Amino acid sequence: MNKLTSLLASCAMGILASAPAFGHHSFAMFDLTRRVTITGVVAEVQWTNPHVWVYVDVPRSEGPPVRWAIEYTSVNHLTRLGMTRTTIKPGETIEFQVNPYADGTAGGRFQIMKLPSGRFFCDVGAVQQFCAENNK
Amino acid sequence: MMTSAWRVCAILCGGLMWSVSSSAQEARPVHPANSDKVSYAALDALPDWRGLWFPAIGKVGGTQPALVGEARKTWEAHQAQLKANPRYEVPETSDNCEPDGMPSLMTFPYNLEILFTPGKVTIIQEALMQVRRIFTDGRPLPPREQLDPNYFGYSVGRWEGQTLVVTTIGTRPGQRLGIAGIVNSDRLTITERIFLDPANRDLLHLEFTFEDPEVLAEPWRRTHTFRRDRTWEQIEYICVQNNRHRIDEKGQTVVPRIN
Repeated sequence: MNKLTSLLASCAMGILASAPAFGHHSFAMFDLTRRVTITGVVAEVQWTNPHVWVYVDVPRSEGPPVRWAIEYTSVNHLTRLGMTRTTIKPGETIEFQVNPYADGTAGGRFQIMKLPSGRFFCDVGAVQQFCAENNK
Repeated sequence: MMTSAWRVCAILCGGLMWSVSSSAQEARPVHPANSDKVSYAALDALPDWRGLWFPAIGKVGGTQPALVGEARKTWEAHQAQLKANPRYEVPETSDNCEPDGMPSLMTFPYNLEILFTPGKVTIIQEALMQVRRIFTDGRPLPPREQLDPNYFGYSVGRWEGQTLVVTTIGTRPGQRLGIAGIVNSDRLTITERIFLDPANRDLLHLEFTFEDPEVLAEPWRRTHTFRRDRTWEQIEYICVQNNRHRIDEKGQTVVPRIN
């Protein structure tokens, strides 16, 4: 929503503003042009502001799993979308879609997750459309 | 256990503190908003702005900013950077739990709670739990040079019928003005007209006019719309709870950027 708000504001102004981070921080560390899907075991949930973090152990064909750090928006936005501190629990296996870190670090910006119940949960912004269509 | 000598000292020092603060108090004017003669009944004449006000996406309008001088050069430099690198982002202070200040406080993509008390309108922005006070008790705007520039500036307002008209000066130079890449000087004056939509009481309109002779050739208008929600209360937002950004020795945020 941050990007969208800024983009729409820019369009209304007839100015292509340089994608300002209208929230807590820049998104420049993420590759917003890519979305990757990972499935792993939730190791830790940090239900905190300014951002919620979820750590996930993603298995590999060889060697120990890789721990991914997934950064969400704020507790405030997530609460209003219906997520709570217990929506995902350590030990659960969950599929996530994220915008990965541009530098290859294991992690990314949260976009979509498929909960054990089969329901999808989506980030604020345009990706909400995905949940609207897939949670019917 | 307190010795008698310490007790005497505590009494003396405490008394001294009290007399200093009380004499300072006497020298200061009591503004009408804080006087002991106030009328809460007068608030009944004001419009109902209760609930939370969420910014309506896409409802931004206004005029083009006519940038001058350094502001224009800075803007063009940012545009050149953006053209060379689509990933470029204008560096801003809000990366480290630091508010953007006015006018950005009003349009963060969270929500506003607006409280009326006699002679005062208080606006709470959920993001970063920012608080802004608008004095509507008739006090004059202090001279600019007497103000210590701060994030939200000094705001006085008056009611024109059901419209709150606010004038703000005294914001820190260098804060975002409307759009990332444009910042104010120390001569910024912000005028706001805030009113309910005549046809829909659950829409609130905010009309900004920015005047800054060092940045703008002419007043720049920007308009925003908010939707009322009566179902939520504000949610706590403690930004330092799990902030990951470091601060350098100059107080600047160290943000991972790939520019």
